[in-house]
Amino acid sequence: MALIFKIAWRNLLRHKGKSIIIGVILFLAAFIMTLGSGIISGMDRGLELNIVNGFLGDIVIISKKEKSDNILFKMYGESIETITKYKDAKKILQSQEYIKDFIPVGKNMAMVLNEDEGDPGFAMTLGVDFEAYRKFFPDSFTMVEGSYPGKNEQGVIIPMKAREDLYDFINAWFLPEKGDIVEKNLTADAKENLKDLNIKRTAVFMGMSEGNYTSDIRLGVKGIMKFRALNTMWGHFSIMDIESYRKCLGYFSASDLSLEVSGDKKELLAMDDSNLDSMFGKGEFFVRDRGSSDISGISFKSRKGRETVGDIDYEAGIYNLIFIKLKKGEALDRSVGRLNEVLSKTELDMRAITWKKASGAIGSMAVIIKGALFTFVIFLFFVAVIIIVNTLSMAAIERTSEIGMMRAVGARKGFISGMFIGETAILSGLFGGAGIVFGIAVVNIIPLLHITSANDLVQLLYGGDVFKPYLSAGDTLVAVVQLVIVTFVTVVYPVRVAMGITPLDAISRE
Amino acid sequence: MNIIEIRELKKNYPLGTTTVHALRGIDMNIIEGDFLSIVGPSGSGKTTLLNIIGCIDSASEGSVKIGGVEITSLNDIEVTDMRLNRIGFIFQTFNLIPVLNVVENVEFPLLLMKKFTKAEVRKRADKLIDEVGLTDHAHHRPAELSGGQRQRVAIARALVTNPDIVLADEPTANLDSVTGGQILELMKEMNRIEKTTFIFSTHDENVLRYARDILKIRDGVLVKE
Repeated sequence: MALIFKIAWRNLLRHKGKSIIIGVILFLAAFIMTLGSGIISGMDRGLELNIVNGFLGDIVIISKKEKSDNILFKMYGESIETITKYKDAKKILQSQEYIKDFIPVGKNMAMVLNEDEGDPGFAMTLGVDFEAYRKFFPDSFTMVEGSYPGKNEQGVIIPMKAREDLYDFINAWFLPEKGDIVEKNLTADAKENLKDLNIKRTAVFMGMSEGNYTSDIRLGVKGIMKFRALNTMWGHFSIMDIESYRKCLGYFSASDLSLEVSGDKKELLAMDDSNLDSMFGKGEFFVRDRGSSDISGISFKSRKGRETVGDIDYEAGIYNLIFIKLKKGEALDRSVGRLNEVLSKTELDMRAITWKKASGAIGSMAVIIKGALFTFVIFLFFVAVIIIVNTLSMAAIERTSEIGMMRAVGARKGFISGMFIGETAILSGLFGGAGIVFGIAVVNIIPLLHITSANDLVQLLYGGDVFKPYLSAGDTLVAVVQLVIVTFVTVVYPVRVAMGITPLDAISRE
Repeated sequence: MNIIEIRELKKNYPLGTTTVHALRGIDMNIIEGDFLSIVGPSGSGKTTLLNIIGCIDSASEGSVKIGGVEITSLNDIEVTDMRLNRIGFIFQTFNLIPVLNVVENVEFPLLLMKKFTKAEVRKRADKLIDEVGLTDHAHHRPAELSGGQRQRVAIARALVTNPDIVLADEPTANLDSVTGGQILELMKEMNRIEKTTFIFSTHDENVLRYARDILKIRDGVLVKE
């Protein structure tokens, strides 16, 4: 082995030009591969951090009736199925030792009605317990105007992005109930029309669902918010208190469920369908289809939400999703599997999915960007491999006399192949290794430069608002393994050429 | 005692649609310790005969035994080991490994054998280098040596494994007459010291005076004198 490496090393020095060409290609390929891997890992990590810690949690529980796992950005008008027995689910989730925390939310589309007689705007809405939501996602957004609603306060907080979109759609500039115009937050168009700006401090939301039982509800704007990262994506979601959300979507609200029902009404509710005709006969009631999960189907015009809600058991009402955070170190897929196993043994109409599945559209874009990067890296490697294979094969043919003579004096084919593998391994180790080390250095230096972007697509590439490539020990190991694979792939054909050289070839050449 | 026994050896080369009969049926025995020259004009088949004896080329027909071993039925590894352990080569163009110095070139076959310690390898190489008169150049690379010196290195390398046979195909062809004479004298001296069988081919009548025995070959057959 020492002899093989001695000859290999001296051959590399003897053919400095070729060695440097191959070495530089290996260096660049290893560097780009390492940097690309760092960008992809950083993107993965950033997306995970932003989505898990900023919006969805690790796991999302959805209704079993939900046809698609992609619940984050659904097609307009397609509503998300309801979860009706949150309190039962809560007990189960609390008993799972791998779960750190969870929060139930409502999530659907809503129209933002134009009170000046124009087309409505649209907004994604989240219905939450404000206090619990802030606790669950403490760093995901900041209030840029107004203030975050207090405990049990009713109202809505609108992201900057949604406010700008609504300004374009319904020509209304939403301001917090207690707040003035902040000029730096105005869009260029709004700045131009500052004097005639149509200021609104309340917004009328009307839920959108496939059933025809939504309501419109006027909510005070408590504040304007900005998400820490991917604001142009999360910024579509206006966040309102869960009770207002339920009324907006026409769901059972907690206050509905807390109403005392008189004896005769209980009787009436207990009647089965066959007795409904008798009700019409007396002409006492008007009954309408409100879907299976709601009783608050009464439509009202700009019903004003109460400012605060008293001692109501919020958890008794309807939700759409439950966001779950796992304890540190718990494996995502395994936890989802365990949770689904537990849920399947209950009567609950729920199933658990990973944040990756839940964020389908973003996940798909991320996969496309990752795929493009990966393809680029593979293409580079392909080109590098072809150049190296060609150079090494030519070197083998040029050294026919030397190789043939070695074979003549007793070197086996294994010695010849070892010599070529040794030469390539030395080049890979030195130049490829340097490429990996340089790649690691660059990956670690880039975050210090604090490169930011406000562009949505670039933020997806960054995995957040700051470009933070990241290399784990595993990624570095993969880079080394890839380099080893490339070394062996590039050497296979030249070794075959060299092993095919016989002493007779050497003599014939002379 | 015969070190080489050849019976009905034939070698045919396909050349387009025809076949070249390089050897047309050779029968010969070579005794151990001989200093034999195979002579004949270009294209007579002497190099082909040497290549087959040296396990560098294969026979089309016939039998070739070296030290009692039939070499025509050996596989690649066995043939390679035969070359390593029992045959030494001296080529026309002094084929040395360019990246190794004199002593490393001479050590090369011994290191391939993996039988000896480093000290034993070095001792054996130094002895041979001394015998061919290159001690002062032991750490020079081939590019730093003259043609004659390179051929001396090749002789040392051929002998370092104590082979049964040393084959030299026109060892003086690329040397001037004085240097060629010195090389042949050296080979003869080594034959005397090491008791190794030397077989060399030549078409130069001037070098025949060094040979103990001479075999003439023409058109692929041995010619009796």
